[in-house]
Amino acid sequence: MADLLMQTGLNAIYAASYISLIAVGLVLIFGVMGVINFAHGELYMAGAYAVVLFYSDFQMPFLVAIAAGLLFVGCLGLAMERALFRPLRGNPLGGLVASIGFLLILQSLAVMGFGVRMEHIPPVTQYVIEFSDRVRLPLSRLYVILAAVVLLSALWIFLKKTRFGWALRAAAQDPEAAALQGISITQTARIAMFIGAGLAGIAGALTAPLVSVQPHMGHSVIVTAFIVIIVGGVGSLEGAIVASIAYAIVHTFVTTFYDGVIADIVGLSLMLLVLIVKPTGLFGSADRA
Amino acid sequence: MKFRRYALGQTRRGFLRGSAGLLGSSALLGAVGSRASAADKVIKIGFLAPLTGPVSAWGKPGLDGCEIWAERVNAAGGVKLADGDYMVEFVPYDNEYDPAKARTGATKLVREDGVSFIMMLGGDTWPGAQPVADKTGMLFSTLLPSDLAPDTQTLLAPAEVHPIYNVTGVEWLAENRPELKTAVMCAQDDALGLPSVATYLAAFEAAGIEMLEEPLLFDPATTDFAPVVTKLIAGNPDIVCLDTCYSDYVHPIAEQLFQQGYEGQIISCTADFYDQMIEKTSKEFMEGFVFQFPDFDDPALNGDNINFDDPNGFFAEFNNRFPGQWGAVSWEYASIMDLWKDAAEKAGSADPDAVLAAMKEGGKGLHAFGEANWWGTDLFGIDNALVGDWPVVVIRDGKATIAEFRSIPEWYDKHGELLKKHMSAYGQMWDQRS
Amino acid sequence: MRNLIVLAAGLAALIGLPHALSFSQQEILVFLTINILLVSSYRLLTLTGEWSLGHVVIMGVGAYASALYTKELGIYVPVGILLGGITAALLAVLLSFPLFRMKGFYFLIGSFAAGEIIRLLWKRFRDPFGGPKGIKGIDPMPDFSIGFYDFDFFEPVSYYYLSGVVVLVCLWILWRIERSPVGLTFHAVHWQDKLAEASGVNLRAYRTLAFAIASGFAGIGGALQAHYLGTINPNSFDVDLMVFVLTWAIVGGTATFYGPILGCVVLTVLNEIILREMGFEQMRPLIYGAIMILSILFMPKGLESVVQRFTTKRTAESAPRQEANT
Repeated sequence: MADLLMQTGLNAIYAASYISLIAVGLVLIFGVMGVINFAHGELYMAGAYAVVLFYSDFQMPFLVAIAAGLLFVGCLGLAMERALFRPLRGNPLGGLVASIGFLLILQSLAVMGFGVRMEHIPPVTQYVIEFSDRVRLPLSRLYVILAAVVLLSALWIFLKKTRFGWALRAAAQDPEAAALQGISITQTARIAMFIGAGLAGIAGALTAPLVSVQPHMGHSVIVTAFIVIIVGGVGSLEGAIVASIAYAIVHTFVTTFYDGVIADIVGLSLMLLVLIVKPTGLFGSADRA
Repeated sequence: MKFRRYALGQTRRGFLRGSAGLLGSSALLGAVGSRASAADKVIKIGFLAPLTGPVSAWGKPGLDGCEIWAERVNAAGGVKLADGDYMVEFVPYDNEYDPAKARTGATKLVREDGVSFIMMLGGDTWPGAQPVADKTGMLFSTLLPSDLAPDTQTLLAPAEVHPIYNVTGVEWLAENRPELKTAVMCAQDDALGLPSVATYLAAFEAAGIEMLEEPLLFDPATTDFAPVVTKLIAGNPDIVCLDTCYSDYVHPIAEQLFQQGYEGQIISCTADFYDQMIEKTSKEFMEGFVFQFPDFDDPALNGDNINFDDPNGFFAEFNNRFPGQWGAVSWEYASIMDLWKDAAEKAGSADPDAVLAAMKEGGKGLHAFGEANWWGTDLFGIDNALVGDWPVVVIRDGKATIAEFRSIPEWYDKHGELLKKHMSAYGQMWDQRS
Repeated sequence: MRNLIVLAAGLAALIGLPHALSFSQQEILVFLTINILLVSSYRLLTLTGEWSLGHVVIMGVGAYASALYTKELGIYVPVGILLGGITAALLAVLLSFPLFRMKGFYFLIGSFAAGEIIRLLWKRFRDPFGGPKGIKGIDPMPDFSIGFYDFDFFEPVSYYYLSGVVVLVCLWILWRIERSPVGLTFHAVHWQDKLAEASGVNLRAYRTLAFAIASGFAGIGGALQAHYLGTINPNSFDVDLMVFVLTWAIVGGTATFYGPILGCVVLTVLNEIILREMGFEQMRPLIYGAIMILSILFMPKGLESVVQRFTTKRTAESAPRQEANT
């Protein structure tokens, strides 16, 4: 039983890691752009396909493929900012529709380029850390956990210590006042989109060898990401991380001790409960709604 | 590695195919297999399945297989009916796995395109098309026999008798590995997973294998299978059964079983791209993996009992043209067409009633895996499923090989009541499926 | 007088329309009619400023309710459809307690979560909801004859006439509601909520009212679809369809009554007829996505703004007396 609890705990830590990478990117984009990026799951998918192309097909080192995924998806984010969200600034519903259109395009491109069936990605490493016979952590999962910790810490420092980060937070809190302070809204939007999309891309790239990579894989993560950012409070990075951890723990343990479908119902019900008790999420402030 | 070899070319070709479509070469996509010249007489066959969206993996590779089938048949002179030879042309309609679009598509195919036969994936989409079938008497086929019910005489399940054939794998395992006594199972909670759960439960009970836990259901949107696997192997089972999980689930589950240190027997309905699974785990881990779908380059498929024309050549051609896309549906729709062509030639006509009568004549039909019976009254209320032998496939030394063809009707004669019991418990009997 | 002629001509066109179409286009027309009700009822909710992602699931509630009432309790189908709408409205009232603690983006996602929970319950409880396969063999509308026309509800034309009448009546009611003091209050709740509250308007009550009415009509739409198709399942009411409803409304524009209808008709015809006819079977999502993006970039106020520009130019040229009518 102790083994089971510990293994489930490790599973939960891994789940929290990749969910938080995706959710933090989504929150960052919403905070700065004021747009719900429905295509976020497809950015995650694009990151995974970058690994398919560079690692599986071109046989480049995995790290190079991840970097390529980060850059490629980050640039997709920049393209979205320039082509979709900038012209639609001040029209959040327009941005929503545009991101849905973009989602359909990305999915179709993946189908046309790679086919509808799942892609194969050879394992990066098969090494497993064995705490005991039934408590094991594969190295490939540890990478995801480490990457999440490092990247999110780096993001934290960037936001708190640098001028860019200061500008980003200012723009997220009050765009007009920020503009009066001489902060370029366009510049901060670009940075936010690059980082937000890049985080989704790197999550897709890192987990690509561990999940089934296919054109519609973004669908299943976006729902989880929405739940997480709502529970955490929209626009709150800390909230997104805390909520990712909480959701991962609840979902993982309920799956292991009951079943996966019940875990989904419990996750959604908890989210509604949080919203009923505190309608702006755990860390949200009322004026960002 | 077989599939990866084509990967680069595939990627590029995929984009080229796509852009060709974008430029408006609509003939490429509009009418598949239409190598027929204007002078030829043409029979149209409807292909009503999901071609876009998340379920398209169950439709698109089937259409690709049909394209190859049509080219081969047309090159050999087409379908020979009483009033001459006809070329075959497939008319696809993307139903997006939506019942309303299936109804619209069925109407278009029957009343506007004048098709002689419609192949569907079935499932959610069949009830949408059913009123059209009932009113027009058009002949339909489905890959999911659980769509069958006595209200529709013209719906057939001639290729796949999912999930009944899964009993053969369990029976084979019990005979060849009698030391395995306990099992656990996981399945996605959907229309494919549940009847399969009931079937495996019946098969395990018939084989005297004890289930350690209730079957573990997960949502089809699951991506991380570590918690599922942790639960599955917590009780140290001898057998892990993956039910009819899609390959998107089978791969990560197998990978997790490997990494969490499971070393026992695995049985599954499908193992598409098993070579990739071996690469993700190990040859030793995958040794003895039992499933139900052979590679079509298996030498056992060249036997006289097989009613699929040149399976090895078909397999090679498909992989050449659509690398990395092979799956069970790639050949199943084509094998339905074999059956249909035989019946049409026997009847001398493509008329749905005549073809149906010729097909069911004598209560026997030539299934891809050997002569089989039209069967199903007990489970479906109508004898419209073609049930006979089905291969048990075992991975040996990194290669899937057909271990044995086993008879489904023989199993059913002995253990039919068990199957009915578990199907009822999961609400899967035809009179329960309201 | 002039209006009466326009009305008569419009009606004649609607009656004649199916006879100018192919069989499969008639099928699409039936679903289009039902979707028009769906998107119009959605607009009523958006009047109060709230955008829901649960509207399609609410439509499904009406469909499931009506299917179960007629199937299990043997209720007469037209009554079942009405009861389906009422059930959906009542459920909306129930849902409003948790949901209307939220606003804006939180409401959007909260309504989505509520909808997903309902869908998971349909999947989880095979009795009575039929599990993932849903419900099959739903009673069709009983055929009848009105002397000069025999209604055979397998035929899309017949069902189009029936659903067309139902939808027109519903649209008329929606139109009257919007023009009534209640409807004007909905506008106030959206644009001047602080002021409205200060003037003694119970914001929450009006939001709930709008939500319940919108849900009721969506439920009727769902029930109409269920009794035509004869089958429903949880996947028919998933977020994919919701995304389509959302884009119909936004691409059409929600400032006018006809905006969402226009969006629904144009996008459906484009996706289901034009792109399919052109042979773009598997490329449809890509082209559809591109068109969505282009239309929102170049018509941010929706298709209705194009129509408005056209009509205002016309009226400015002709005569000021037109203004009395608009």
